[in-house]
Amino acid sequence: MQRRAFIKGCVALGASSVILPQVSILEASEPKSKTRIFFVTNSYNLKHENIKGLTKLWVPLPQETTYQKVSDFKFNSNATNAYVTDKNSYKARTLYAEWKNGGEKLLEVTYTITTYERNSDLSKATASTKYPKDVAHYLKPTAHIPTSGKVKELALKIIANSKTPLDKAKAIYAWVTENMYRDNAVVGCGLGDAGKAIEQNIMGGKCTDISSVFVALLRSVGVPAREIFGIRLGSSRYSKACGSSDEKGLAKITGGEHCRAEFYLDGAGWIPCDPADVAKVILTEKMTLNDPLVKEVREYFFGNWEMNWMGYNTARDFVLTPTPAQKPLNMFGYPYAEVEDEVLDYYAPAAFAYSFISQEKL
Amino acid sequence: MKKWLILLLPLMLFAKEEVVIKVAEMHCPLCTTAVKKALKSIEGVESSKVTLETKLAVVIAKDGIEDKTFLEAVKTTGYEGVIVSRHRLKE
Repeated sequence: MQRRAFIKGCVALGASSVILPQVSILEASEPKSKTRIFFVTNSYNLKHENIKGLTKLWVPLPQETTYQKVSDFKFNSNATNAYVTDKNSYKARTLYAEWKNGGEKLLEVTYTITTYERNSDLSKATASTKYPKDVAHYLKPTAHIPTSGKVKELALKIIANSKTPLDKAKAIYAWVTENMYRDNAVVGCGLGDAGKAIEQNIMGGKCTDISSVFVALLRSVGVPAREIFGIRLGSSRYSKACGSSDEKGLAKITGGEHCRAEFYLDGAGWIPCDPADVAKVILTEKMTLNDPLVKEVREYFFGNWEMNWMGYNTARDFVLTPTPAQKPLNMFGYPYAEVEDEVLDYYAPAAFAYSFISQEKL
Repeated sequence: MKKWLILLLPLMLFAKEEVVIKVAEMHCPLCTTAVKKALKSIEGVESSKVTLETKLAVVIAKDGIEDKTFLEAVKTTGYEGVIVSRHRLKE
């Protein structure tokens, strides 16, 4: 076995000048409650038949916001080169590693993440549609989030006579949670192709599919909206469908990737939503929209996030840094790796190979 | 005549072609791996390079594989392919 020196890294994610905090001023006014602390470990041992091929790995890292703080970030690897960067159009935090000389390809990433439950005060919202530049960015279409044609046609029908951005968002959330359902046959979190879903009336999907339709409909009627790609960290007070762990707070979170969504209201800031978990609770608990638990979850996930989950980024249809052989990347909720120009299957953790665990401080 | 045929036979047997296929529906990096794997599973295909940005698959294969063989392989991934070009490579 070829021996290689291990690279150790330790970056203060919140304080680094390279990694800019992604905090909007309005987020800062959100009340902090229900604090939770999780110790996260990501382990990689990349596998590919072309063992000597140039191997590149991009790992999504949690963003630093008012509702989640990262500390004790460390990585340990036998990579030829490894570093943290956020140089991409969405400032998605990334740990990049590359191996040039064959042999084992190992990486371990550890950090502590403190999360704060998000609860919005919708009474602060105004009807203004003058948005700051960084917010207005989330009105633009992307390859998978079209905002014209059938998408706009449907959104106009849904919002009917709604005048304010809040009323439009309420109508669209109600429509998505009523008409879309979770389809467990979909691979991973789904592709999130909102245009195809609406044009072909594909109402079944997973979290990225459901969130992307929610986001596309909102953007098409002038309400800034975005998906947030992340991963579940521990147990939910509502349902095991929304996150689970053992009695000691240990959660094997490989495959626990989950996409949530936000929309923006002047005066109230980014409003957290999770229409996909309403659908997941319905399927997992074998319930309908009329069951009390579903009614509660549906109401809660419009304006609130239980923070047994952490967010990585809001990036869609973008190019990572350094530039991969294949581009653009549809979304960055999973680790992404290439051997030469061949992409490793990020939906197959055992083959890739990667595993994630989260230990909650109880 | 017979002599010529005997001399040309090895060239005919081992001649290679570059086949370029457009797979316009590919929309994410993983699609390229699926298309590449499908094309490489064809007997006589030496290599395939698939690029998301251009939505093109460039296949190096033994001469004479029919268009429909490539297109049927692409179809197993759920996408339609279109042959853009094919030309014989110089030995």
